[in-house]
Amino acid sequence: MTTRQHILLLAPLAALLLPFLFWPAVFGFASSFTDYGPAQAHLTLVGLRNYAAVLGNDEVRLAFRNIAIVALVAVPLELGIGFAVAYALRAPFRGRGLVRIVLLIPWLLSPIAVGMMWHFLYGPVGMLNYAAAWFQQPPLPSPLALPGWALAAVIATEIWRKAPLVSFLLLPGVLAVPPDQGEHAMLDGIPLGSRIRHILFPPLRLLLFTVTLLLLGDTLGTFDSVLVLTGGGPGSETLTPALYSFQQAFRAYNWPFGVASAWLIVVATIPLGLGYLALVRPTAK
Amino acid sequence: MRERAAGWRAQRRRDAWGRRVLLSVVVFALIVPLIWTLLASFQIKPEAHGWPPAWTLPPSAKSYAEVMTEVSGFPRVYATSLIVSITTTLLTIGTAFLAAYSLARWRFRGTRAVVQSFLVLASLPAMAYVIPLSDFTRELHLRDTFAGVALASAAVYAPLAVYILYGYLEQVPRSLEEIAHLEGARLFQIVWKVVVPAAAPGLAATAVLVFVLDWNLFLVPTALTLNHVKTIPVALSDFYTYERELEWSNAAAALTLSLLPVAALVALAHRILEQFSLNPTPRDP
Repeated sequence: MTTRQHILLLAPLAALLLPFLFWPAVFGFASSFTDYGPAQAHLTLVGLRNYAAVLGNDEVRLAFRNIAIVALVAVPLELGIGFAVAYALRAPFRGRGLVRIVLLIPWLLSPIAVGMMWHFLYGPVGMLNYAAAWFQQPPLPSPLALPGWALAAVIATEIWRKAPLVSFLLLPGVLAVPPDQGEHAMLDGIPLGSRIRHILFPPLRLLLFTVTLLLLGDTLGTFDSVLVLTGGGPGSETLTPALYSFQQAFRAYNWPFGVASAWLIVVATIPLGLGYLALVRPTAK
Repeated sequence: MRERAAGWRAQRRRDAWGRRVLLSVVVFALIVPLIWTLLASFQIKPEAHGWPPAWTLPPSAKSYAEVMTEVSGFPRVYATSLIVSITTTLLTIGTAFLAAYSLARWRFRGTRAVVQSFLVLASLPAMAYVIPLSDFTRELHLRDTFAGVALASAAVYAPLAVYILYGYLEQVPRSLEEIAHLEGARLFQIVWKVVVPAAAPGLAATAVLVFVLDWNLFLVPTALTLNHVKTIPVALSDFYTYERELEWSNAAAALTLSLLPVAALVALAHRILEQFSLNPTPRDP
């Protein structure tokens, strides 16, 4: 192929991404230093004032604390459960293919639908209250409305939706490791932990980093499931930065706040992206 | 030696049991909420009072009828979602495939880093650029149009598709392409008649997953539309925002209907999806 042909093949993607992703991203970043708003004729530079205002807001600080908790609790659990299930699916058995497809089902529901579903399932018509009724207990209040419990319920819902997807994505990597290596190590009496670390992990490295990066990016942008589950409440206990940005931009029409808080999320994702690039570099050909 | 073999067999039995228990628990936790929702959509719900806990019977399809007729425009929303998702998937896969092919066959050292940067771009939350994007599509007169939603949504998952398809195309042997080139085939013919068939399983699996992501996309459609082009996640969030006390059976029926097309697609494509990998590795002979 000639260089011209290479560029020709890249052109359609560029035509799609330049106006609908790169330009809004670059313009958005630049506009976060201005008073950019709906139907604004002239933009005035305001420097870091938007960021200062957003960071000075208690709700935003709470939102960042919340998303840090979600990321630190949900992502490791999703990876852990996802890996454990993929590892358990390593040996073939009847119905393994079916289990693998079933693992995709929670992810097939949109975050909006998952939020709606669990809003009801945590409530009086849900499984918990049905179980409580068997023990003749009074109906439990929904954790989504209970101060102190709502964020845990949001995290549980996230794990329900994404942990099975993680095992779906990790399984091909786990299967690519030759099983006899693990069996030799087992015969030699090497404990499970070391077997996983020294035999299973090295070939899975790239896949694990890829899945982790996608999970972290997705988690930091969490807002649609929370929008429906709790709307950020009770109080601001389950507010996330992306939900705050969404509310500011599309409900309150306060674009400077919306854009600035969205870019604070990006600032949080940039080190993750750079970290990924640095980690995968040694494996590059 | 015999002792060790016996110990090994006991270990294997323990592993097999652990595997069965783990998989049963996970599949149970996955499936029960979905079955609960499916039952509720047919009016089968736990009774609020009495012991032993009873279920409301008989089942009826009343909720489906209500969602289809009384919720304004649900059939239209459904058709809109289908058309938008199919168009978006074709745009994403088409542009990403050509770009990934160009990168996979480009002999300069930076291509791998470029592709990894696409993954970093894929982990960027769309919230970062959606506010300027909505403003920009309004200026292009693309607000609340099919074209606007399809193009902007296609840009969201194109970077991820480039990353995945690059992995597949790197595994496709180049010899056939070289023969075709020597035979005098033109670039377009080589791509269409040699590369596409060789990469078909990976291409199809990626298309199915991108379709699911598009079907469930909420942020971009909601930011870019008013009332004319409404997809299912936007409609679901509307019911919920305006009728805070949406009836559980109707919500469950709407959820089930929203899951149906993607579930059918995944069931049809299950053989291809079983082979899916984010980082495909070359097959051992």
